[in-house]
Parts: sequence; C-alpha cells; structure tokens
Amino acid sequence: MDDRYRQYFENMPCYVTVHDREFRIVEANSRFRRDFGDRVGDFCYRAYKGRSEVCPDCPVEETFAAGAGQVSEQTLVTAAGVELPVRVRTTPIHDRDGRIAMVMEMHTDLREARQLRRMLDESKARLAQLFEEVPCYISVQSRDRVIVQANRKFRETFGPAVGQSCYRVYKHRDEPCLYCPCEETFADGLSREHEEVVVSADGRKIDVLCTTAPVRDASGEIGAVIEMSVDITQLRELQSQLTSIGLLVGSISHGIKGLLTGLDGGIYMVNSGFAKGKPERVTQGWEMVQRNVDRIRSMVLDILYYAKDRELQLEPIDVALLVGETVEGLQKRAADFDVAISADVQGDAGQFPGDLKAVRAMLVNILENSLDACRADSKADAHRVRLTVRRFPPFMDFVIEDNGIGMDRETLDKIFTLFFSSKGVSGTGLGLFVSNKIVDKHGGAIQVTSEPGKGTTFRVRLPLEAKPSTQPVAC
Amino acid sequence: MAPGRLLVVDDDPDILVYVASLLEDNGYEVTTARSAVEALAVLDGRRPDALLVDVLMPGRSGLDLLVSLRRSPGWRDTPLVVMTGMDQILRDDCQNYLGNQNGVRGPDAVLGKPIDPPTLLAVLKHLLPERGGVSDGRLAQP
Repeated sequence: MDDRYRQYFENMPCYVTVHDREFRIVEANSRFRRDFGDRVGDFCYRAYKGRSEVCPDCPVEETFAAGAGQVSEQTLVTAAGVELPVRVRTTPIHDRDGRIAMVMEMHTDLREARQLRRMLDESKARLAQLFEEVPCYISVQSRDRVIVQANRKFRETFGPAVGQSCYRVYKHRDEPCLYCPCEETFADGLSREHEEVVVSADGRKIDVLCTTAPVRDASGEIGAVIEMSVDITQLRELQSQLTSIGLLVGSISHGIKGLLTGLDGGIYMVNSGFAKGKPERVTQGWEMVQRNVDRIRSMVLDILYYAKDRELQLEPIDVALLVGETVEGLQKRAADFDVAISADVQGDAGQFPGDLKAVRAMLVNILENSLDACRADSKADAHRVRLTVRRFPPFMDFVIEDNGIGMDRETLDKIFTLFFSSKGVSGTGLGLFVSNKIVDKHGGAIQVTSEPGKGTTFRVRLPLEAKPSTQPVAC
Repeated sequence: MAPGRLLVVDDDPDILVYVASLLEDNGYEVTTARSAVEALAVLDGRRPDALLVDVLMPGRSGLDLLVSLRRSPGWRDTPLVVMTGMDQILRDDCQNYLGNQNGVRGPDAVLGKPIDPPTLLAVLKHLLPERGGVSDGRLAQP
C-alpha cells in the first residue's frame, strides 16, 4: 500500500480491518486501534467480541465462501467494554491469481443513526397524536378528491371517510362541489381559506371555516392537500341573531319616523283647520291621524311576525301558478326600469312541497335583484330578466338570468351576507340573505355565477320531496 | 312676492299633504310629486327654486333624482334638501352611493324625520335668501 492509500486507510472515519483465512487481523486503521487496541495478529472474533471461537454468522467467513462482499449488523465490544452496534460491510481482496487472499471489513457506528431513528419515530408519534387529537376536522385529500387520511374528530363527525370522495363525505353530494378549495390549492400550490356549510354523518349542518395547504413530496410535487376545518356554527348563529336584532331596530326606527311625520301632519292639519276655520282641513287631518295610527298598529304586528322565527308551512305549490303570479307582480317595476321580464315553465312542472309565502318572497327578492342589476347597467343592449323553471328530479330547478351589470368575485362572495348591499341606498342588504335562508330551510341550494358587464345567473334548486332543515327561518 | 317655489317629493301622500300645507301656510308656492319619475315630469314644465326630496321611494330613489339633477347643466345649482328617517348606517350607505357617482355634489341639507317645522323653514330661508322667506324662519301661526 503506497503512502497515499495508507493515509486514506488510516484516516477512514470507521473501523477498517483486513483478515486472512484464519480470521487473523493483518491490518487495522487508527480508529480501530483507538477503541480496540493494537490487535494485529489476533483473531478478529477475540478482538471484536472477546470470543474464544469464530462467530456463528462471521461475515469474513461468508465472504470467503461466497466470493462477494457481505452486509450485516453486529454488536462489537470495545477494549473499554462498551457494546457498540455497527453495520459491517466486507469486501474480498484477490491475489494475482484471482483467488481471495484476504477480506476487508468496515464497521460503521450505528448509535447515531439509531438515535436519529428513535427521535424520528418519536416525532412521528407526536405528529400523529397531534393530527388525531386536534379539536378541528382534518382530512388529507388526493388529486382525485379522495380522502386518504382523516383525524379522530373528522371520523367521529363524518363517519369512516378514508377512501371516499370528499364531496360525498362533507356534503353528501354525488358530484364535485362547484367551488373546491383543494382543487385550487392543487392547481397553484397556494393555501385557501373558505367558509362552507357541510353536513355531518347524522345530517347536522355545520358552518366551517376551511383552510387548505399543499402537502409536497420529496421532489416538491404536490401529492396531496390537507384541509383543516373549524366549526363556527355557534359563532355564525350568534352573529346572525345580533345582526337580525340590529336590522330590526333599524327598520323599526325608520318606519316609526315616517309614521310620526304622518301623525305630526295630521295634528298640524287639525290644529290649522281649527285656527283657520276650515272644517274640511280638520277632517282631512283627523283622517291622517287615524290612518297613521292604523299603520302603526299594522307595523307592530309585522314586527312581531318578523321577529319570531317561524316554521315552514308546507303545502303543494303549483309551479306554473307561482311563476305566473310572481312575474306578473314585477311587470310594472320591470317596465319602469325598461327591462323585459319573462317566465318559461318547461314541460309539465307540476307541483312541489314548499311554503308558498316564503318561496314567493324568495323568487321576488332574486328577480328584484336581477332587475336592479339591469337598471344599474349602462350598456346600450336591451336588458332582460328571464325565469326558467323545469322539473329536474330530485329537484325543481329555478334559473333566473339577467344581462345586467354582473358581479365581481368579491361581491359574489358576500351577496348572501346580512346587510351587504352593492346597490347603494336602493338595497337594504336583506333580500338575498333571507332568500338564502328560505332555500336552505327547504333543504335546497342556491348557486350563483356572474361576470362583470355580462350578467348574473341564480340557480335555485328546491327538493321535490319535503326535507326541510331544522333551523327556523325569519321570512 | 312668494318666498319661493318648491317641489316636494315623497311617496307617502300624508307627508306630502302635511309638508305642502305647512309650507303654503308660510307663504311658499308648493308643487308635489309622489315619485322621482313624477318629479322629473313636473320639472319639465316648471322651475322650482328648491326641491325637498324623500330618499327611500319605490322605483328611483331620491338620491337617483339628485344625481340626475346634479348632472343636468340647467338644474345643477338648484338647492335640494333631503328628508329622511334613515339611521346612520343608511346615511353612510347614501354617502357611499354618492361617492360612486363621480363626485356628484351631495344634498344642500339633510333633514331628519319627523320633520321639525322651524328647522325646515330656517333651512329654506338660508338656501333661498334672495327670495326673502319668512322673517327669521319663524313658524307662521296656523
């Protein structure tokens, strides 16, 4: 061995020894000498393990027999008596005739690797525990929308979900959701935050704030998306109640101020009629007082009606009749706005179960919204609003299309929020909020698509078989 | 000389009768309209010195009427008083609405409902000083 290779051999950061056929050590590097002493000429089984005979699984012996290098794990005992787990690799050394003359052994210390593996196992266990016990719903979804992992709270709420489609588990749907935050995260690798209403295994509706994040593999590719959803049902219910109270106070206040003005007017007319000796003015004033007292009475009754959550009064609704009456009632307003409003009931749509008053209010709200969207649009095209209805089992499908001003994404995200109005003073921010509640209460769904400058389409689906949700609705 | 010709716009007929009587009793010449569309038709034939306009009305709102007038060269400077029973949240909504109308000048005055007659008369006197108005904005005895 020339000096250069001798230097490499000496400084190898592991134990390196060369053995003859009689298991004697013929060469040993400095690290071996440091921990096992100068054992050249001694038997390897004695030097490495303190044994008096050849080890039963001796890698040197196996290398001589097989003619090829071996790998195994052994436990050595150092000169100081320390047990040392090692990985042993052997290599045959051939003479000029090609016969195996000696075997070289390299021993790598496994203590550090084992320590790292133990730490890794502990970390994995801690992460698994965290994943399992964290008090929100966590699922990991594949690119084809299949849940590959779910934590304990998720399984308890949504049932055994692994292997099933996320839309089936989360929403009891047969097809993917219109908007899927996971799909977007798969597409661009960015996290998404999204508010959703999901349905538990026992049919309970849960408001969740859902956050997604990509799960990348070693090469940086997105292999899965993790979805974490926090239950905000109570928060939303509380918020809804508070805003309802705020809205009620605002409406009452506005209404009362108008009625007080009317009452003031009546009193003024009565007083001035007496003062000026004009009995007809007194009569006119007194009628104004009576009328406004009646309006106050009626308003108080209305407030009591609105303030109380009421159950749906389901009855068979004749679709053609409903649509005809609703659109007829809006013809004058549409004409004022110079908008053509039309209805098309396709085929024999028949009947469906619903609360007539609530469903009509819902349709009027959406249609009025569409009319306003046309009125607000300055483009020269003729404006139109069209209501199309068809029986599409298991739903009655209402489609309301307009070619009005349209909405951007931000507006679209907020349209069902109480008090949100994009229409300035002409909107109270109540109509679509209530419409959404009415549809939800019937066990249906509203989908909205819109494009600024082109128009908006509302698709309302109401079930043909009554399956109202359990939440009361103010409508 | 009448202290001024006024157009009062409100969808509530009782309020129209009241405000018109009150103003006529104080010397003003009053025309009424029950909607923004009707008001525009009235304005086609006569020229009031000022308008009193309700905000929330079916069809076009009082603010829509205001925007139409402010954008019309012949009516841009005609004083317009808004009468409203709206709370602050809706007043803010009005302001946002006007803010989106490319800098249209807002109303010359906003009067809350129920209307306080001395305030209404004082506002009109302030807006129409050259017309004389009723002295010191005091309410004429009925």
